[in-house]
Amino acid sequence: MIKMSRLAALTLLAAAAATPAILVPAPALASPEGHGNNAQLLGQPAARGTGRVVRIEMTENAYSVPRIQVRAGETIRFVAVNRGQFLHEFSFAPAAVAAAHRPEMARMFEHGMITPERVVSLTMTMPDGTRMDHTAPNTVLVEPGKTGEISWRFTRAGTIEIACNIPGHYESGMAAELVVTPR
Amino acid sequence: MTSPLSRRDSLKLAAAAGMAGVVTAFPGRQSFANAHRVQDLAVEATRITVDGTQTNALTIGGTVPGPVLRWREGEEVVIRVTNRLSEPTSIHWHGLLLAGVMDGAPGFNGYEAIQPGQTYTYRFQLRQAGTYWYHSHSAAQEQAGMYGAIVIEPARPEPVRVTRDYVVLLSDHSPEAPDAIFRNLRNREGYYNRGQRTFLDFMRDVRRDGWSATMADRKAWGEMRMDPTDLADVTGYSFLVNGRGPQDNKTFLFTPGERVRLRFINGSAMSMYDVAIPDLRMTVISADGLPVIPVPVDEFRIGVGETYDVVVNPTEARAFTIMSEPLDRSGYARATLAPREGMEAAIPPRRPRTVLTMADMGMAHGGMAMGGSAMAGMDHSGMAMGGSAMAGMNHGGMPMSGSGTGPAAANPHAGHVMPGAPAQAAADPHAGHAMPSATAMADPNNPLGWEQAGTPEGKRALRYADLRSTRARPNAPQPSRDIILRLTGQMGRYSWSLNDRRFGMEEGIRVREGDRIRIRFMNETMMAHPMHLHGMFMEMENGAGDRLPYKHVVLVRPGAEASVLLTADEVGDWPFHCHLLYHMEAGMMTRFIVEPARVASAG
Repeated sequence: MIKMSRLAALTLLAAAAATPAILVPAPALASPEGHGNNAQLLGQPAARGTGRVVRIEMTENAYSVPRIQVRAGETIRFVAVNRGQFLHEFSFAPAAVAAAHRPEMARMFEHGMITPERVVSLTMTMPDGTRMDHTAPNTVLVEPGKTGEISWRFTRAGTIEIACNIPGHYESGMAAELVVTPR
Repeated sequence: MTSPLSRRDSLKLAAAAGMAGVVTAFPGRQSFANAHRVQDLAVEATRITVDGTQTNALTIGGTVPGPVLRWREGEEVVIRVTNRLSEPTSIHWHGLLLAGVMDGAPGFNGYEAIQPGQTYTYRFQLRQAGTYWYHSHSAAQEQAGMYGAIVIEPARPEPVRVTRDYVVLLSDHSPEAPDAIFRNLRNREGYYNRGQRTFLDFMRDVRRDGWSATMADRKAWGEMRMDPTDLADVTGYSFLVNGRGPQDNKTFLFTPGERVRLRFINGSAMSMYDVAIPDLRMTVISADGLPVIPVPVDEFRIGVGETYDVVVNPTEARAFTIMSEPLDRSGYARATLAPREGMEAAIPPRRPRTVLTMADMGMAHGGMAMGGSAMAGMDHSGMAMGGSAMAGMNHGGMPMSGSGTGPAAANPHAGHVMPGAPAQAAADPHAGHAMPSATAMADPNNPLGWEQAGTPEGKRALRYADLRSTRARPNAPQPSRDIILRLTGQMGRYSWSLNDRRFGMEEGIRVREGDRIRIRFMNETMMAHPMHLHGMFMEMENGAGDRLPYKHVVLVRPGAEASVLLTADEVGDWPFHCHLLYHMEAGMMTRFIVEPARVASAG
């Protein structure tokens, strides 16, 4: 279940802060282009740089806010600033989906695609020919001192989870609630 | 990130903490008006109850374990220890950075044991945060119950946020008096000799397993206990969690969805454990008190004196068993994580003992005479020594230990060490590199070799190589020299030593303040030795690059090598010893002397 998306690495380090990584363990849920409606993600990607700015700071191992509330119909431009010493992820998904993704993140870690501090490569072909991609529109890996962004148009109400799925970070408390209220 | 503080840092912190410092109201505390905490602890003999059975114990503060000492980084603490025993005592603050005279090891750094009826006042500033512990450093008092946990809250925010925070202190408790155990070990010839019959049993096992050769010294064999069925006749250790036996079932409460921090401390005299919480993944966040990059694991092995902090996230409203099996599998320590008192979860199937491999033997015995007539023509390749055979080897007159069938009380060392070490994974007592021979391939039901913990298939055990300090030191200087420390011993005489010298007969290790050195441990014995240095952290060379983890105990596997780096920045003469209590008692200790750098101008 590592390979979620056929999308080649868009850009690496420089863009890493803004490169989406996979999160949803079924390609249909977040198509590579990320344009499909996604019930689980309560909306769909919006054009980069658009939307009301919601700023989140990331440190070891926490987000600066425990909860973010938005309204269905809003486009939100999440600006995730890494003020810590280690690589962090800003992503949102239902808690169960994120939990299923964490072992994959651990594999990326073990295979050196990410290190404690940085992104080495968001794609990797494994010895058995399978390919690990870590590109999806609802998540962003942010290196220390850098900023990542996701613009997202929320269309339905619900509560999902913001999480850093780098091994041990979520477990240490790096999670927040994302509440979308009805319009 | 929290990391050991320099003295200067700690002064700054102290100043900052001054405003928030809590001064405990206490009669007669006037003389310690500057201290943030004052604590009185009495050491006394009493009786404790474990699983409904009363035994004698020595206590600190009236309980086993002693009270959890909760402090804050930067604080200055004062602890007045009063000896109400009829023998000298001491308390050592395991893992703490402090002035030598406060370290609490009699005979070192000018510290003297606390005589009966006397009170010693410890006073020191906390230059670090994390999980540590304290214990007697006199005779074998630690075995009798003199140990407790230290939890130091960091001055800066924790990299982990939890709702519950528990100490899980593992220990091995014996109904026998520690000095009796030690006497028995020293007099083993009479105590343990089971005579001819067991010797023949051993030979039978040897033939069955196709192994022989190694036992060139027949006289030594005569001292071995050979038949594993003997073992049940001997009363062993009880394994405790926070002083509670498996039936007492110490329970830690949680509400589903909470994050729970468990601070594991191995305060045992002689026992090391494989620790798992079935169905609950643990994230290791600290080792020996200091933070590491989080590692999710299913289980870990903890050597005597080591500590690991883990975080768990139980989401279901059910009980989970915290299972700690000593390496000899002679019992288990058990506690429960549960939403309510009185709940319990299943005890997982007991794991098999690991079995020594021939590869281990060969590699471990580089310096040992393997010759002898019995050896001729034997094929050693890829053969495992049967567990039963190993049981008999505990007391051979050779540097090796048993496989852990040892009746713990009578023979506390037996099997706490599994001589099944593929020696090439030198720096990593837990796992490490691929084993070229076929012997060590993991079969959970038939584990071979030290590193095989009987880990269930698909589960992940912590390895030393996983530990990476949260603090990167890319510019750490290279060591100016290597110091070789051979871990040596003669099991038959229960003689344990460093560089073949028992404590008191040795010269000590001498370095100058500020020296950057490498210490290379070369374990020439068939037991693992948790090597503990007082006063300074060692940076364990585990392949973590510029993030070598700080350790105050490094578990050196049987027959293997390991190395550490350190900067000798704490002046004093510090104990440096194997933390297996009876090994230390037998002489496996030396002085690590840090001489002050020359003062350029005293005036």
